[in-house]
Order: sequence, then C-alpha cells, then structure tokens
Amino acid sequence: MKEFAVFWGCTIQTRFPFIEKSTRIVLESFKLPYRDIDGFTCCPERSLVNNIDHGAFVVTAARNVALVDELDYDLVSPCTGCVSNLATVKGELKANPREKAEVNKLLKEVGREFKGTAKLQHLVPFFHDTVGVNAIKQKIKKDFSGMRIGIHYGCHMVRPSHALRNDDPLEPKKFDTLISALGAQSLQFMTKMMCCGQGLDRIDEHDRALHFARIKLKELKSLGCDALVLCCPSCFLQFDNNQFLMEKEGEKFGIPVIYFTELLGLAMGYKPEELGLDLHRVDCTPFVKKWESLSARPPKEDAIDDGLNAPGDI
Amino acid sequence: MLEATLNLKLLEQCSKCGACFSICPSCMHIPGYDPRAVIRDILDGNHDKWLSSRHIWQCLECHYCLEMCYQHYGFENAMTALRTIAAKKGIHPTQVKRGWEMFVKTSRLGEPALPARKKLGLPEPKASGADEFKKLFALLKAAREKHENPEGKGSE
Ligand code: SF4
Ligand code: SF4
Repeated sequence: MKEFAVFWGCTIQTRFPFIEKSTRIVLESFKLPYRDIDGFTCCPERSLVNNIDHGAFVVTAARNVALVDELDYDLVSPCTGCVSNLATVKGELKANPREKAEVNKLLKEVGREFKGTAKLQHLVPFFHDTVGVNAIKQKIKKDFSGMRIGIHYGCHMVRPSHALRNDDPLEPKKFDTLISALGAQSLQFMTKMMCCGQGLDRIDEHDRALHFARIKLKELKSLGCDALVLCCPSCFLQFDNNQFLMEKEGEKFGIPVIYFTELLGLAMGYKPEELGLDLHRVDCTPFVKKWESLSARPPKEDAIDDGLNAPGDI
Repeated sequence: MLEATLNLKLLEQCSKCGACFSICPSCMHIPGYDPRAVIRDILDGNHDKWLSSRHIWQCLECHYCLEMCYQHYGFENAMTALRTIAAKKGIHPTQVKRGWEMFVKTSRLGEPALPARKKLGLPEPKASGADEFKKLFALLKAAREKHENPEGKGSE
C-alpha cells in the first residue's frame, strides 16, 4: 500500500480533536502507512473562500496537493469537505492546462509544483476500496448485530462525482457496505441522502440550520434508530451540537451521533472513552448500553439448538 | 486572473429545463428559494436585484444540481457567481466575512485545540503553511494587478 498523508483539516483539529484520536487509533491498529506532514493550510473551505475569491481557492488547494505530490504520497482525509475541495481543484487544473500553468507559475515562486499525481481519498471509500471489507471483518471483536443504524453520507463524500469518482453520487453504497460488514443494519430511509444543512449556520441562519437537522432526526427517531453514523466534522457539528441545542430547548430526539472511526474502534474492542464518545454533546450511552445488552444474550444459534434439543412431551 | 465566469449559453438551456429543482434540498425546504427565478433574471440582465437577497447564500453547495444536470452545469454556478459579486460589494453574511478574514490572516479557519490534544494524548500538530500561503496570496494579488494593468501604471 502506498504511503499517505492524513489531511486533518481545520474543523477536526480546532473543534473535535477526539475525532483525530479515534482515526489515529484505527489507522494504527490496521498498521496503515499513514504520515503527518508539515505545511498544510485550510483545504480551503468552499463556501467561505470560493465565494469570495475563486483564484485564492484554487491556488491554496493546489499548494496543499503539491505538498503531497512532492513526497510521492497519496492523501486521505476524515473530512468530506476537505477531500471534495481538494479534488475539485485537482480536477479543474487537470482539465485546464492553461490554468494549471498559471497556478504553477505562482507556486514556483514559493518552490512548489502542482502535478496532481497524488490520489485524494476520503476515509470511508478508502477503507472500502483499499483496506477492504475482509480485512475489516478479521479485526472485529464484537459486531453490531441487532443494532439499527442510520447512515449520513455527507454530500461531499461523493459529490462532485467528476472529481471524486468514488461511488454513485446519488445512491452511494460503500458506507452501507462497511456498516453491514460491522454487523449492523443500515436503515433505508426517506431523508438518508438529504444534505445536513450545516451550511446555513455559516450564513447566520441558525434556525434554518436547526430545521434541516430536525427533519432527519425526526425520521430517524420514528424508525427506532440506535445511532446516526457519519464521517464529516461539519455534519457532526450539525447533528451533535445542534441536536444538543434543541434538546436544551426541550425538543429531545435522543439519537447518538457516532463517527465512523468510533464505530469501527468499538467493534475492534476499544472502549468508548478511549475513542472519545464521552466528549460528544448528545449522550452515547443508550447506544453502548443497548449494544452491550444485545451481546450479553447467548448467540441465536445456541438458543435455537437449546430449544430443539430440549426435553419435551413427544 | 483565475476568475470564475458564468456561461450564459448553458443558463439559457437551464431556463427551459428546471430538472434539478425537484432534487435540490434548499428548493424543497426553504420557502421562496428558487434558482429558476434567479436564472431568468440573470438572462434578462437583472441579476442586480438578487445581490442583497438571502437566497443566494442559501445554496448549500451540495452539488445535487450538478449531478442531475444533463449539461453538467448546475444551478449552483449561477448562485456562486452572484455570491461572488455580492461579496465584492461587501454585502455578504457576517460569518462569511469573518471566515474569509481569518483564512487570509492565518491560512486556516481555526488553530488546533492544544489543551484538548494533550489530554487525549495526541501528538504535537504539524507546522502550518501559513507563511508560504501568505507569500502565495500576495503573489496572486500582484499577478492580478499586472494582468489588469499591464503597463505597470498605478500602484505596485
Ligand atoms: S448546490 Fe445549491 S442549488 Fe444546487 S442542489 Fe444544492 S442547494 Fe440546490
Ligand atoms: S442546472 Fe442543469 S438540470 Fe438544473 S435546470 Fe439547469 S440545465 Fe436543468
């Protein structure tokens, strides 16, 4: 496997360092060749930078990719936005040689060159494609049979597809496959692919952001969902923080929000506190408790066998 | 230099299509949000009236329209163009302003939370590329000025 740099991005390192923790735990225990490198900046974030200055968006992303190109590494990120933004610019420059030349003229003056050779992957498709379901299954100590999980892909895990090319952009499957591999049921629901709406918080429309979160949380609650699983810090902010804010106002959904690496870590036998589940705003203990009680029961096979072999009247 | 532009020919087709309206989350959940009306106005030369509208910022950049679009274009291109014009005029949401300023100043949207990292046993964060980024940003600005003012008249 090729070495890869991890692109943590601003949001995880600023607000959710525990996501970095669980990510490192799983990368370590799969013995993956991940590296931390100097020199990254913000990817940059699309809505705050591209809307103001497209050129700044392009050169900043191109520089980040150049750092990885130089080392002949690939790049993997636990943030969907980062990968999507970097890949968007990589795609734009690969398709426009003139623009690429302009960008490289600027980069040359700081001693860099964008080649676009590094493969840019989000953590979920990376685990699906590069680590593989079989390797994951071998690591499971205790699976999630009986648990009902709602997945939130996050728009930028799969879109824009011309740049990311990692799954179906409208009906993706890879995250579902991973969740099933962990033994859980991945619920199919109406709002599964609905955008989280966190972007509305960034334009001073907090109530509307809450409205978007509410739509999905309501449906999940009605389906008896045990946890919402996602892999994007922005979506996490939307469903964990904002759900908590609604709870404080008396509107309770009680849907724990769990990062993909946390779920994987739990299945591999790490403790909830080691993975940082105790640092979430919305309480994750109902999820952990139910899971523990399910696995405390004897395996289904044994129960049936016992029944079949039990003494009876016949 | 490196400016995004809008393709009016594609938008012309857009005004007759509207296929992505039914998949756009903001169209579905935000009353009054309708890029079709915006596009009609752009084509009629009346884009100005949208510059101070909340709606242009309510596009979530989810790229659904892009994926649906038979032209591979998308509503979002029109919305992004209007947002950029609005921002140049200084009529963009406060948080966008703040985010942009922090980005230009520090090259990031926040600094690693050091005490929390320590508690979690995370390694020292790697050096940021802030200095190099600042140089690059200055170079971009200089190249633009040269581009707009090739004779070297005026500043710089
Ligand atoms: S990118 Fe904007 S316009 Fe396009 S579907 Fe998403 S919210 Fe709607
Ligand atoms: S963006 Fe594409 S799909 Fe949407 S209305 Fe325009 S042409 Fe149709």
